[in-house]
Amino acid sequence: MTASTTRGSNHVLEVRDLVVQFAGRGSWRHRRAVKAVDGVSFDIEKGEILALVGESGCGKSTIALSVMRLLEPTSGRIISGGEDLATLRGRALRRARRRVQMIFQDPFGSLNQRQTVYDTVVEPLVIHKLGTTPQERRAMVIEALDLAHLRPPERLASVYPHELSGGQRQRVAIASAMVIRPELVIADEPVSMLDVSARAGILRLMMDLRDRLGTSYLFITHDLAVAWMVADRIAVVYLGRIVEIGPATSLVDGPAHPYTKALLSVSSGDDVSEDGEITSVLSGETPSAANVPSGCRFHPRCPRYLELGEPERCRAEDPQLHVVRRRVPPSSEVYDANAHQCACHFAIEEAP
Amino acid sequence: MSLLEIDDLSVDYRIGSQMLRAVDHVSLRVERGEAVGIVGESGCGKTSLGLSIPFLLPTNAAISSGTVTLAGHELVGMSERELNRLRWTSVAFVFQGAMNALNPVQRVDRQILEAITAHDPRVERDVANARVLELLDLVGIAPARSKSYPHEFSGGMRQRAMIAMALACRPSLLIADEPTTALDVISQAQILALLSTLRRSEDLSVLMISHDLAAIKRVCDRIVVMYAGIMVEMGTTEEVLGRHGRPAAAAHPYTLALIEAHPDLHGERLLAQGLPGHPPDLSKPIVGCRFADRCPSVMPICRTEAPPTVTLSAGHVAVCHLAAKGAR
Repeated sequence: MTASTTRGSNHVLEVRDLVVQFAGRGSWRHRRAVKAVDGVSFDIEKGEILALVGESGCGKSTIALSVMRLLEPTSGRIISGGEDLATLRGRALRRARRRVQMIFQDPFGSLNQRQTVYDTVVEPLVIHKLGTTPQERRAMVIEALDLAHLRPPERLASVYPHELSGGQRQRVAIASAMVIRPELVIADEPVSMLDVSARAGILRLMMDLRDRLGTSYLFITHDLAVAWMVADRIAVVYLGRIVEIGPATSLVDGPAHPYTKALLSVSSGDDVSEDGEITSVLSGETPSAANVPSGCRFHPRCPRYLELGEPERCRAEDPQLHVVRRRVPPSSEVYDANAHQCACHFAIEEAP
Repeated sequence: MSLLEIDDLSVDYRIGSQMLRAVDHVSLRVERGEAVGIVGESGCGKTSLGLSIPFLLPTNAAISSGTVTLAGHELVGMSERELNRLRWTSVAFVFQGAMNALNPVQRVDRQILEAITAHDPRVERDVANARVLELLDLVGIAPARSKSYPHEFSGGMRQRAMIAMALACRPSLLIADEPTTALDVISQAQILALLSTLRRSEDLSVLMISHDLAAIKRVCDRIVVMYAGIMVEMGTTEEVLGRHGRPAAAAHPYTLALIEAHPDLHGERLLAQGLPGHPPDLSKPIVGCRFADRCPSVMPICRTEAPPTVTLSAGHVAVCHLAAKGAR
C-alpha cells in the first residue's frame, strides 16, 4: 500500500479502502448497487499537493465529497488528526471539519449572489465560532482577503459577486476557505471554468498559500497538464479506482499504465501526426460504474491488451496497485511515499 | 472566390442606452475545405463574429457595417426566408453544451430525420431513413443506438449526434462554437479527430470558435486571435502556434500570453505568469492599443496611437506597434 502507518504523524489525511456505493436503477428486486468509488487508498502529507486526475464519472469528485463527509462513505477509513472522519457525527464532525475546507468548480454558482464578499468570508468563522468580537472577525476576514490577493481588501469586502470577474470570485472562494486556516483544502476543478489568463493566477495563489501556511491540497482535475504543473504527486482515477499513483514528474515522464499513457498523449498533443491527422488513442467510452468489466476494468478499451493478444489474465484477474518505480529521482534513497505504483498486470516496471 | 468572405464587419450590442461594439471592423476569409479557428478570452467578440455569419445574433445586436458573403450570396440585408434556405444547407452549426440542444423527449434518429425533411419536404421516406443511418455511421454511432433518447447518450455521443444533424443537408461550412468545452479530455480528442476526418471526407469548411488553443491547433489550418472586438493576429496555425518542433512565431503579446498560459507537457514545469487584468470597457472610447493596459511590453506610443496592421509573412499579420518595430 501507499505508505506505512509509522510515518502517520506527518499525514494530514489518510484514506484507506474507501468505498462509496449508490443505489442503482431498476425495480427494487433487480436493483444493483453502483460502486462510484471502489477501494481507494491514499495519503496526503503536510504541505503536499496531491492531484486526482480522471474523466467525469470516474469517481474523483465522489472521493472529495466523502472526505468532506458531504456524502456518506459506504466503508473505509478517512483519518485526519487522529480521528476517523467516516464515523464521526454531530459536534465532533463539525469540529473535525474545521481542518478541511473545499473550493468548488463554479465561482458563479458557489457564491451567494445576495451576500457581500464580507458576509461570505465571515460565515465559516461564525459557523466554527472563531473570533470573539466583531472587530476580531473583521480583521480575520480582511487578512484572508489580502492573503487571496483581493486588494484593497477593505473595499472589496463590501462588493457583491456580480461586480467581480470569474478569477476574483474564485479568490473569494479561496479566502473563505482559508479564513479558518484549514490543514487541508479540497479543490474540485478550481480553474476549469476560468479563462486561461485567470487560471495561472489562481494556481499560483494556491501554491503560494501552501508555501506560506503549509496548507495541503487534494486537487481534483481532468487536466493532466494542470496537475503536472501544481501537484507533488498525481493519482490517476479510472472507474472508481486509482490505477496509477506517483510523483508528478515520474508519472508524466514515465507513465506505467496504458490509461495514463492515453491521457498524456492527448494532453500533450502527441496524438497528432506530422500531416495533422489525429490518431484516436482510445476508442469507446468509460463504461458505467453499474457495469464494471471483469478482471481489469480498463481491458475493453486497453491498447496494451490488444497489443499483447488479449491475454486471459486481463479478463480474469483484477490488478492491484504495486510499486513499479522506487527511486524518484533515480539517485535518491528508497523512500516509500515517493514510490510510483500502478495497477496493471503488464505495467512497465523498472529494476528496483 | 472564397467560400466565406467577411469584409469590414462590425457588430453592435444595445445594452440599456449604451451601444457596445463587440466586433469592430473585422475582415476574414475561409476557403473551401479550410478550417479556421477564432480564439480569445470570454467577451472578446469571437462568438459574435462567428454567429454574425448565419445571423444568429441576439435581438439586441445589429450589424452596423460590412458585408458577409457565403458562396457568392450576400447575407447582410437578405430576407429571413432566403436566409432560412441557406441555413443548414450551406452553413450549419454545432454549439457548446450539446446536451441542451437536443430535444429530450424525441429519439435521436427522429431528430436527425426532421432536419432532413424540414429542408426537403419531398424527400422519400426510405432515402431519408437511409441518410440518417449513414450520418450516424459517419460520426461513429452504431445503428443499434440510433433509437436512443438523448439522456441515454454520454456528452461525447450527444455532441456526435449534433454533428450528424448539422451535416444532414450537406453544408459546405460548419460553424462550431466551443464544440468540445463541456467534454472530457478523451471525448474531446475523439470529437476533434472526428471533425478533422469529416473535413477531408465531406469536403467541409470549418469555422471553429474556442478559447482552447490546443483544440484549435489540432483541427485548424489558420488561426484568428480576437481581443476586445478586433482581430489582433492572424496566420497559419503552424506558424503562429508552432507544430512538430517548430517554435511558435506569434508576434502579438496577447497571443504569446495565451500560448504561455497553456501548460506544455513537453516544456518546463514552470507555472506561467498568467495575464493579469481584464479586457477594456468597450462602452468607453479607447485611445491607442486596446491591449496596452495588460501588455508586458507596452511602449509610450501604444497609449496614444492605434497600432498598425503589420504583415510578417505571407498570410501572417499582427496588429501591434511592437511587431511594426520588429518588422522594420
